[in-house]
Amino acid sequence: MSDFPAWTQDEINAFAARYGLANLTPDHLARMRELADRVSAAGRAIPRMPSKGDEPASTFRVPLA
Amino acid sequence: MTAVTPVTSADPLVYLTVSEASRLIAARKLSPVELVEAYLARIDAIDDVVHSYITVLADRARAAARIAEAEVLAGRWKGPLHGIPFAVKDNYHVKGVKTTGGSRLMLDYVADETSTAIEKLEAAGAILLGKLNTWEYGTGTGEIYHDLPFPLARNPWNPARHTGGSSTGAGVAVAAGTAMFALGSDTGGSVRLPAAATGVYGMKATYGLMSRAGCLPNCWSLDVVGPLTWTAEDNATVAQVMAGYDPRDPQSADVPSYDLMAGFDMGLKGLTIGVVRDLGADAPSMDPDIVTKLAETEVLLSELGATVVEIALPAPLSKYRSVTGTINWAESLSIHEQDFMERSHLMGKALKDKMTSGFTVRAVDYVAATRYRRQLAVTTDAVIRTVDAVLAPCTFITAPTFEDQERLVKFTFGSATSIFNVTGHPAISIPTGFDRDGMPTSAQIVGRYFDEATTYRVARALEKAAGTRGLRPAL
Amino acid sequence: MNAPVVAKALHHLTAAEASRLIAAKAISPVDLVKALLARIEAVEPRIASYITLDAEAALAAARRAEAEIAAGRWKGPMHGIPFAVKDNYDAAGLPTTAGSRLSEGWPRPDRDAALVARMKAAGAVLMGKLATWEFGTGNGGEYFDLPYPSARNPWHLDHFPGGSSSGAGTAVAAGTVTVALGSDTTGSVRLPAAATGVVGVKGTHGLLSKSGILANCYSMDIPGPLTWTVEDSALVMNAVAGHDPGDPTSLTGPVPDFRVGLKQGVAGLRIGVIRSFGPGMAPPDADLVAAFEAGLAVLADLGAVLIETDFPAPVADFYACTRIIGPVESATIHERELREMPDRMGFALRDKLMFGAQVRAVDYIAAQRRRRVLAAAMTAMMARFDAVVTFGAAHAAPRLGVEPGMTAFTTDTALVPFNISGHPSLVQCTGFNAAGLPLHWQIAAPHRADPTLLRVAAAYEAATPWRDRRPEP
Repeated sequence: MSDFPAWTQDEINAFAARYGLANLTPDHLARMRELADRVSAAGRAIPRMPSKGDEPASTFRVPLA
Repeated sequence: MTAVTPVTSADPLVYLTVSEASRLIAARKLSPVELVEAYLARIDAIDDVVHSYITVLADRARAAARIAEAEVLAGRWKGPLHGIPFAVKDNYHVKGVKTTGGSRLMLDYVADETSTAIEKLEAAGAILLGKLNTWEYGTGTGEIYHDLPFPLARNPWNPARHTGGSSTGAGVAVAAGTAMFALGSDTGGSVRLPAAATGVYGMKATYGLMSRAGCLPNCWSLDVVGPLTWTAEDNATVAQVMAGYDPRDPQSADVPSYDLMAGFDMGLKGLTIGVVRDLGADAPSMDPDIVTKLAETEVLLSELGATVVEIALPAPLSKYRSVTGTINWAESLSIHEQDFMERSHLMGKALKDKMTSGFTVRAVDYVAATRYRRQLAVTTDAVIRTVDAVLAPCTFITAPTFEDQERLVKFTFGSATSIFNVTGHPAISIPTGFDRDGMPTSAQIVGRYFDEATTYRVARALEKAAGTRGLRPAL
Repeated sequence: MNAPVVAKALHHLTAAEASRLIAAKAISPVDLVKALLARIEAVEPRIASYITLDAEAALAAARRAEAEIAAGRWKGPMHGIPFAVKDNYDAAGLPTTAGSRLSEGWPRPDRDAALVARMKAAGAVLMGKLATWEFGTGNGGEYFDLPYPSARNPWHLDHFPGGSSSGAGTAVAAGTVTVALGSDTTGSVRLPAAATGVVGVKGTHGLLSKSGILANCYSMDIPGPLTWTVEDSALVMNAVAGHDPGDPTSLTGPVPDFRVGLKQGVAGLRIGVIRSFGPGMAPPDADLVAAFEAGLAVLADLGAVLIETDFPAPVADFYACTRIIGPVESATIHERELREMPDRMGFALRDKLMFGAQVRAVDYIAAQRRRRVLAAAMTAMMARFDAVVTFGAAHAAPRLGVEPGMTAFTTDTALVPFNISGHPSLVQCTGFNAAGLPLHWQIAAPHRADPTLLRVAAAYEAATPWRDRRPEP
């Protein structure tokens, strides 16, 4: 979807730093930038549920097991 | 117990308890029509002050009352809720009736289904009076922004004070007599906080015991629905009807039905009650009157024959809070994502803040929260299973004035309610008396999973001994 | 009954055959383990099916089984049967490597995974731990950057044996073990079965305990057997299925006898037939289609009622969900390792974790909400049938490490809808292509109808000659 701006390398570097991914090499970070566009595309590819009541396939239940 | 009713304009009928009214109806000494008219008159008289309702369903209630009256007269009494007027937070759907969720986004929304809870209560003969005030979609930071489409509900003990949220109209309605009982929903305390603010009983049952089908969700993995009532007995009576497996709710617990009033009047001899005194070094401070009332309650438990032991939760309050924050932001955004992307200008600040917080939460952090949540549930359960029931703090302060934003936030977030949303244990907010300003104080009684019965038994014993039920708001 | 005759090499006996011979005392578990060890010595350098072989412990366990049986304490059909597990299962005293450098220095587990414990309690003999992609993770690509050699397809050593339970199909087909246990998140039991011509079963979600198996994706991981025959899968399921309080997703309720339908045939069964993956996916290869149609003719001849049907949504829609859910849950599992030692991971795992670490919560929740809707639609579709037959992968096993065939084999599949929905499904051999590589199809059944699933597969297996041929790597 070209109407969404792609991530920049700076944004990815900042994102990785913000969430503590301190040991990624420049190669890894470059790969992460490539993946970032796929991640946002994959997120947008999920159809949103029409009803607010449609629940996730969650796993928390009582009794606990 | 002697009823000491202060100066009030109220018809005494609206201050009957469910069990009192029920006995009179069954004996044909009180007509459901008479009772409903008394409530409609009460709403007319004082709801301009307390704003407990968003929608009053007078015609619907009158029609239901006539049917109930005819049924009772024909000898077809359905049980303890037959002819009993109640009201629901305006996030419960009723087919053909508006559900607003307290939101500008839904001012014209008419529901096409009825919630399971209301279906069950109406099948038991209860009469729906209307839809009660709420923070937008059950969302509140505690702060009051005066930016919602309906007037603020006000505390009947002092209209300058907060009602507790998010079921803001529910506690008010029960305390002020604009409904005989009320239903709320509770994600982090939204049944128990209004109950605490207004001096009534509010039950958050075991996660999955009561169906949420047909209610607007706030956060699937934490939401429960629950009743607010004037007495412990009333609460158990309503809860018994609401409980039970419902395939319409994916998280409904498929467990055999059980008696929520087992041992109700057996007193406390032989029970071991754990007391939670310490909620962690970083927990907000408690007002002295709350501390005093909790200590008095502990003494009372001992005097009533219970063995009282101190127990320690496996984590400080702040850890439970961190779980509810992340899960609630993310799930709420998922629920309202389309509205947030397209119509966020219609949202109040509290809801918009929550949506905005959810927007940047990473999935790994959300999943981490759900994993940590399970661990907290397991380790907390291990502690709770060492006793029969637990006495824990509810709110740390009494209902603050609307001017005091700091204490408004503290009332909502500086409370011990969310712990049991995280773990899923049954927890009932009980009134313990009044502070120096005449505002109700509260505590929580917590039970083992699917053991609401013992929490009711403890609540009942304390109620009888403490005699807090005699005083109603002077309104 | 005449004295049983051992008509084939011991390492190619099925569990059912070996069990009958053991019970009749025609062979002993020690003979069987020794035969497998000899087979391993002969072929393992070429196929790399094991990460850890524990010959001493296997021989000791076999001797115990032999003594127990000699003393008249035969425990049942798994007694004395050699098995091995994908190396993401814990086995007391053996390293769990998960095929990863990240596991270097981990203490050896002191407990068996629940399924290992149940196999042992049934008398089965653990041979060792089988090859796997790193923590069960693969994007289809083969990067030859893991600490253990890639397992090879015993039918053709230049070919891929499927992943991520890559050693499990290889070992069973090649006869380096009698039966194996793998795990399946988006096809990791069934894909190796497809590649190596064995039976791979992913039972109803919650039937087999995950306790003691390293997680890859909490909400979709399912353990399952890989065996030469359908009957062997039923025997393994009988030994290991059932509620385990150690697994929060474990089902309660009665456990069926998985053998009950094996000889009942398919006459009168209503079997749905799904030929299309829907838009956005490559169609199956011609030789798979031909084998599929021939298989349908076999079922029709046996009296099954075949009914055309479809997935309730394109298979690509199911993938859209797993593409989010899988990486996110893996990223939460390996969060610390991604922070501290990303360079010690293989490319495939690091790629998945860097992907998962970026996904927003609201997108993950949307995927889980979509999953529930798709699962409900699948359940409604499946409820119309006793079983459903469809394709597994769209291709036969590709050449190892050669793109685009590798990725296509792993991602052009109809396996994922049954991970999304939790329905039991299996893959079995439907013949061989011109290169001598196995062809396959997939059978699925309604929830808890695992015995029917096995019944259909057993009827097909009995009516076709595919179990007569074994690879000679």
